[in-house]
Amino acid sequence: MAFGKLWVIAYRDLGRNRRRTVLTMIAVALGLAILILMSGFIGGVMDGSLRESIRLQTGHVQLRADSYEIEKMSLQWADLIDDSSALVAQAETMSAVQDATPVLWASGILSTIQETSGVQVTGIMPDGQFHQPIREGMVAGQYLTPDARGEILISKRLADIMDIGVGQRVSLAVGNDEGQPEEGVFTVRGLFYTGIAGYDERTVFMPLSQAQAFTGAGDRASAIVIMLHNPDDAAAVAAALQSPGITALTWEDMNAVLRQLAQTGMSFYYLMYGIVILVVAVIIANTLLMAVFERVREIGILAALGMKRRQIMGMFLLESASLALVGIVFGILLGSAAVAYLARVGIYIGEDVSAIASNIPITATMYTEFVPGDMVALSIAMLVVIVLASMYPAWFAARLQPVKALHSN
Amino acid sequence: MSAIEIENVTKLYKIGEVETRALNGVTLTIEEGEFTALVGPSGSGKTTLLQLMGCLDQPNQGVVKIKGQDVTHLKANQRADLRREMIGFIFQFFALVPVLDAYENVELPLLLNGVAPNERRERVLNLLESVGLSDRIHHRPDQMSGGEQQRVAIARALSTQPLLVLADEPTANLDTANGTQALEIMQRLNEETGTAFIFATHDPRVVPYARRVIKMRDGRLENGAS
Repeated sequence: MAFGKLWVIAYRDLGRNRRRTVLTMIAVALGLAILILMSGFIGGVMDGSLRESIRLQTGHVQLRADSYEIEKMSLQWADLIDDSSALVAQAETMSAVQDATPVLWASGILSTIQETSGVQVTGIMPDGQFHQPIREGMVAGQYLTPDARGEILISKRLADIMDIGVGQRVSLAVGNDEGQPEEGVFTVRGLFYTGIAGYDERTVFMPLSQAQAFTGAGDRASAIVIMLHNPDDAAAVAAALQSPGITALTWEDMNAVLRQLAQTGMSFYYLMYGIVILVVAVIIANTLLMAVFERVREIGILAALGMKRRQIMGMFLLESASLALVGIVFGILLGSAAVAYLARVGIYIGEDVSAIASNIPITATMYTEFVPGDMVALSIAMLVVIVLASMYPAWFAARLQPVKALHSN
Repeated sequence: MSAIEIENVTKLYKIGEVETRALNGVTLTIEEGEFTALVGPSGSGKTTLLQLMGCLDQPNQGVVKIKGQDVTHLKANQRADLRREMIGFIFQFFALVPVLDAYENVELPLLLNGVAPNERRERVLNLLESVGLSDRIHHRPDQMSGGEQQRVAIARALSTQPLLVLADEPTANLDTANGTQALEIMQRLNEETGTAFIFATHDPRVVPYARRVIKMRDGRLENGAS
């Protein structure tokens, strides 16, 4: 039989109970829109945290001494880079490199009379391009100068928590190169804000030379942080800068934990995707089963006229597929609109919530991001599952005995 | 060759624990071009006999032959093929596809049979004209009277130029004027096309039109017709 007529019957049957058809389409559209929005959020959070991690913590490539372990933030000379200026100069000769800057990290404790907080002291060359976000994120006081002495930057958030103001003197303690405590009194020169509460809460900046003197590191650095024009060049740059005693790490290496964490999180979202798709599929199957029950006698007529079982089945599958397709189109429009809106406006989750995830840089406002691959995959998955869920009602219709079907009411 | 041969056919229905013998050893031959009424009270087995002749159902015992071919044990799809090619149906409740208009309802069996578009169009328009519905071709069933719907059903039953048309109580839901009109149309088309018509009916108006009357009672042929 001409496929066209089967389609015409299926299409017109959809119009017989308009309210039910529209409600079912809405269910499909909303289900898909929710999935697209979820995927947009996950994409936004994942990409966002990776971006922030690169921007604030890892850069694109880092050079470290072979024995350096980032978790320990060791200050022993053997774990530090001896000749950082030569490495910086070497990196900066490469055209792919935008900027290279040495940093020195130490774990410390910041104290006032009332409050104490564990921090990561970061010694920086204040004019390094990698520190642009801090320079631009100053909200009070002044940014660091290379030769500033006895001055530090802390974040607005830490200042609020510890009730510290610009110009106030605070006590800072670090473990030195021999593991012995060193303590000093510093003046807060300015307050910065990056938007990543977890990062802001634990980071203290001072000029590199000051940090080197304070921790007894001499002229050594924990790492050289390199920013590239194009992140894709990271592996090539890392390979070129690898030398005996020096390990070069790419942003992918350094964010492996973050990426793994994101992947673990994804399995939960896949479960959520599955549940939403199944709920929609059950709604469709139910709608179609009702349609079959209402049309038992008609199915009997079609069978009496000589329509084959597969044609009857095909008619109902076409009905559900068209229902699904229209729903999916609206779902894509609705979901995309929601993603586009929240990509601009975002959802404010609050600094306290974002601070909880101290290992994942999450901004206080989360933004969605288009993930076209997910959108296509989710739409196809939705269509396939709906058609599969319609198999039973369609099969049920096709298996009806013409005699019984003709005499049903 | 006879259009249909029914040999010693028995059909049992089981409803719960109760077994009903709807047909009890019926033997009957229908020749091509017949115009036959199958009469008898409700429950006499008329409809069951029509369903067996129309390959809608299968007997428990006995043999059903269409044009000499034993169709007793054909599979569902083979029976569908046979119905599509050889048999037209008219039902008491008109039985049109509600979402299709008159033209499309008559065209449906032709589509199922893969008839070419031009021939399809010609046949549909001729048939609708011959049942007096040329001006209603784009009306859907709910926009037509019962008499008009039954005439569409007659046109549909004849669209594939079948061997025979089986009509189950075709006038039961029609008033006298419409019933008479339907009968006259069927009689005329029987003469024009040579298609055999068999009616199951308990409507006494039908009997005078029939050239042969088969009476049924309690699942048997009453007057020993064969």
